[in-house]
Amino acid sequence: MFEWLSNNAVIQDIAILAKPAMFNIYFALASIPLGFPIAVALALGKNSKNYFVSNICRGYIYAFRGSPLFIQFFMFYSIALSMNRAYWKPWGIDDIVLHPLFLGPLVLVFNTSAYAAEIFYGSLRTVSKGETEAAKAVGMSQWQTFRSVTWPNMIRLAWPAYTNEVIFLFHSTAIVYFTLPVINEQKDLMNMAGELFERDYNIFLHFSVAALYFLAISVVIFFIAGLINSRLNRHLHNGNNVKIKFKPNYIR
Amino acid sequence: MIETLPHWFTSLIGEDWTAKLDYITNGKHLLWYASFRFTLIAAFGGAVLVVFFGLLGASLKQSRFWPFKAIGDLYTTIIRGVPDVLFFLFFPLAFEQTVEYFSAQSSCTADELAQTGVWPPCDAAQWYLTQNEYLILACVSFGIIYGAFAANVIHGAMSAVPKGQLEAAASYGFSPRQVYWRFQVRQMWVYALPGLSNVWMLLLKATSFLSLLQIADIVLWAERLGAPNYFARVGPIHPDWRWKYYLVLFLFYILMTMLSERFFEKLQARASRGMQLANS
Amino acid sequence: MKKILITAAIAASMFSATGYAETVRIGTEGAYAPWNFVDDSGKLAGYEIDLGNALCDAAGIKCEFVANEWDSIIPNLVAGNYDAIMAGMSITDERKQTIDFSEEYYPASPSLYAASAGASFDFDNLKGVKVGVQGATIQADYAKEQLGANNDILSYETADQSVADLVAGNIDVLLADGDFLKPVVDGSGGALGFVGPEVRIGGGVGIGMRKNDSDLQANMAKALEKLKADGTVDKLIKEYFENGPFYSN
Repeated sequence: MFEWLSNNAVIQDIAILAKPAMFNIYFALASIPLGFPIAVALALGKNSKNYFVSNICRGYIYAFRGSPLFIQFFMFYSIALSMNRAYWKPWGIDDIVLHPLFLGPLVLVFNTSAYAAEIFYGSLRTVSKGETEAAKAVGMSQWQTFRSVTWPNMIRLAWPAYTNEVIFLFHSTAIVYFTLPVINEQKDLMNMAGELFERDYNIFLHFSVAALYFLAISVVIFFIAGLINSRLNRHLHNGNNVKIKFKPNYIR
Repeated sequence: MIETLPHWFTSLIGEDWTAKLDYITNGKHLLWYASFRFTLIAAFGGAVLVVFFGLLGASLKQSRFWPFKAIGDLYTTIIRGVPDVLFFLFFPLAFEQTVEYFSAQSSCTADELAQTGVWPPCDAAQWYLTQNEYLILACVSFGIIYGAFAANVIHGAMSAVPKGQLEAAASYGFSPRQVYWRFQVRQMWVYALPGLSNVWMLLLKATSFLSLLQIADIVLWAERLGAPNYFARVGPIHPDWRWKYYLVLFLFYILMTMLSERFFEKLQARASRGMQLANS
Repeated sequence: MKKILITAAIAASMFSATGYAETVRIGTEGAYAPWNFVDDSGKLAGYEIDLGNALCDAAGIKCEFVANEWDSIIPNLVAGNYDAIMAGMSITDERKQTIDFSEEYYPASPSLYAASAGASFDFDNLKGVKVGVQGATIQADYAKEQLGANNDILSYETADQSVADLVAGNIDVLLADGDFLKPVVDGSGGALGFVGPEVRIGGGVGIGMRKNDSDLQANMAKALEKLKADGTVDKLIKEYFENGPFYSN
């Protein structure tokens, strides 16, 4: 039984690719905590009545949603590189700034915050006027209205779409090492699957196992997001609460 | 290139700008500009196939015959659960190897077939692919990947077509197949358009992956042109200029996005003539 | 990843293919000056391009150059996308297991370390240094084996990328072929310099060909011998590397 397990090519690949998968998970995990608040800020900015703030946020979101992440990676790496001697080195942070484990999540944050901002902006616009007006009517301040009415509704409405965005973000981690240098053995799923492929040219095996990892982790993200979703909607007892499905609106 | 310009023009813009103009119109740059065709071909070729796979996927998903429905659901779920770039690399290689596998069965000896770690088993089974063939495979890859997204959009749009219209068609004596193709599919486009425009934006951005299939596309040339050069025979000596070239590509894609948005707005307005849509 | 991915990449946009059967196709990288590069006018140029054309003239065969990315250059030769490799490729025992080489057309030359001018390192005891290499090269193997334990090895897809990172200071030293680095260091206007010992790895540079391709191997051997004797090879080496003469008296 054990022998069969250790000799099975699929099992072997799953074992080899476990560590590389951690790099993809790391890239996603490192960019969500920063991407989320920036996205909320950008959404509020875009919705702001201040012409200047609103247009800056709008422009940022447009630019990052309107161009490929692949190009953004190339561009930010070469920009960061050209600023190295003038800024990062004198400040003593060059080892951090140019490290793929820092720069990778950073570019992902730029990217995902724009996509998530558009989602939050959309839900912000659909938070019903009636509710905010009711809040004002009972004498809530602007901040109170935001905190207890706008914010929870915005997150609740945006959650299914935001879940899809997180899964997209996780998938995007696949291209980090297409642009950044590989340091020692710090390889992600795509690096390692490619390396395995170069040994025996068995694309079906190695790429399928790598795909399996992406698929499995996507399902886990989905499951966790689903739990949060039912918590966000726990006050809706009429059975009409928004359920996340693993298929619809899977569009970025 | 620069020699063909009239003298008054070059003296008007000054020596500095003449030199710059000369530089960005040299042969290497012209190759870069020409390589934009690959991006556009991949985008438009991919788009046609996206519609094809989208319709196919949606038809499968809507099928009452459960194995078809299962295939349709599996197709859309798996493709969207996997990064686009992974499938984009996987498909052309897998396709090539599959073709080579079958030709190897007939053209290689048993000994050759038995060896591992070599592909293809013998030279005769080698399928030579040129850049153009890779471009076609890239289009098919895009078609399959984004076809899965389009299938969902189309599937949703199909059910948005008012049932009464289809029932009316059926009562006029059209067969179920006719009702499907002549009424449901035709009516569906209006509802699917916003979603399909989203899919087009995804596809457009994915065209930046072409260099991963070793197609000499805009990204590959941007890197070559921008890379620092210290050897006079290669061209003017310059430091790392890559970010400038990537910035151009960044702006190019944003421009393409803007143009696409305009186009889809116009199309939507045209398609919804005479229709009462809640959101239009 | 790209190993088996076939390409006529740059070549397809630069050359019109004139029937595969009678033309010998030579694979090169096109981004490794002065060996091979794409010049300002967008054409492949360099020592190997001139030499390859001279060899084909001498052998009486028609040739065309095909550009292919470095990391898939051997698999694509084996796969038959082209018939020979002239890409600054050192003759090594490891590579000889997969392909055959002609006699060298450039003598074995050491690999060198380049660094920012004025930097110095204790090469007997190198520790905590960021070493850059181009992936899938003899230098990459060497760095991983000899320096990998105590240093960070950064591997890049192309030689140009590694140079860019060296100039920008993202890596401390770059280990690469000396003849590739010389024009880089010379042209850097004093920003870069050589440090440390010469690293003697790999043999001379030769033409890589498929093991079963004995006709082409014989033709190329004869032509190379002729051009070495009549001074053509030395003349080209002088022109591109300011080095030599090596083969004629």
